[in-house]
Amino acid sequence: MIFTEAKRYYVERRVVDRMLSTRSDSFEHYFARLRADVQGEIEQFVNAFTINETYFYREEHQLVCLTSDLLAARLKVKPRGEPIRIWSVPCSTGEEPYSIAMWLLENWPHVDQYDIEIVGSDIDTDAVALARVGVYGKRALMRLPPRLVERYFVADDGASWRILDDLRQSVRFTAVNIVDRADTRSHGRFDVIFCRNVLIYFDDLARRTAAENLFENLLPGAFICLGHTESMSRVSPLFDVARFADAIVYQRPMR
Amino acid sequence: MADDIPKRVLVIDDATLVRLYYRSALERAGFEVAEALNGVEALEHLLAARFDLLVVDVNMPKMDGLSFLQALRAKGLPLSSTPALVTSTESAPQRIAAASAAGANFYVVKPLHAEALVQYASLFCGARHG
Repeated sequence: MIFTEAKRYYVERRVVDRMLSTRSDSFEHYFARLRADVQGEIEQFVNAFTINETYFYREEHQLVCLTSDLLAARLKVKPRGEPIRIWSVPCSTGEEPYSIAMWLLENWPHVDQYDIEIVGSDIDTDAVALARVGVYGKRALMRLPPRLVERYFVADDGASWRILDDLRQSVRFTAVNIVDRADTRSHGRFDVIFCRNVLIYFDDLARRTAAENLFENLLPGAFICLGHTESMSRVSPLFDVARFADAIVYQRPMR
Repeated sequence: MADDIPKRVLVIDDATLVRLYYRSALERAGFEVAEALNGVEALEHLLAARFDLLVVDVNMPKMDGLSFLQALRAKGLPLSSTPALVTSTESAPQRIAAASAAGANFYVVKPLHAEALVQYASLFCGARHG
């Protein structure tokens, strides 16, 4: 495997991931562990670069929470007729925002009753371009029941599947840097934001800036879902914690 | 008419997810489905092909569902007699009366579940589906 400078971010993300998983407090510490292959770390390290990509229906419990609690809570306070806005950021190559659309079609009986706007954004413009195309390999689809693959994808050949045009058109994709206020502000305010596994890769200052920016992107009382290992409480005091049966999420206070 | 000819439904709704939801339910039940984003597009579709049922949303940009139905009913037979199922989030009696006056054959308040849609469509088309 060869990584050019342009892929530095990709490499760093995975190294940090492994450092967190092994509770290494410095790169030196982690590197020593890797060289000594402690607990098969070499394989884990290689896997982080090859199979740790995102996939459809990842962290399904948050999708369950979306349709069993979050949307109902939003509809109680939203003025009638306003669209429901959901933001997937970072959206990588589109698996998450498309999963949200599919999940709503399959599991939310009110899906035809409201205007639903789903936006997927990422800093990586290559990823956004791929998301717009919507072609996926077997690995991305591994968690989807076969009937959903059949329902929402067209098999291109034996190895790739193209998402249905209608589904593709139901998500709007943009490029965004969540540390840049002007960038995030132009996206407007949302009812639910999915921001999973990105804050952990930032330093303290960037993390706080991103959290404050995202706070501004939430309507009063709206929710933000982080990755299951992340906690907003350590990043910013602006948010309330909201516990639901299927997930712990963070909420912008109503006032 | 032979049973093996699929019945054709035109889904008219400006929301992409809603069109996909209805289409996917109807296709699974064996219907052939086309989509239109508004009344103008729907009229174009109807000039090009015959449909057994129209599923019409009320609130749409360009040409809303009721204006579309009025325009359709003013056309010549057999086009003007295509059955129309109106779907809406409004349940007030005057809204239903307005839809009926515009030419709706049936009025359903959303949410319209996939199974119910298939049942209605089957009834309208006289098809053995669902």
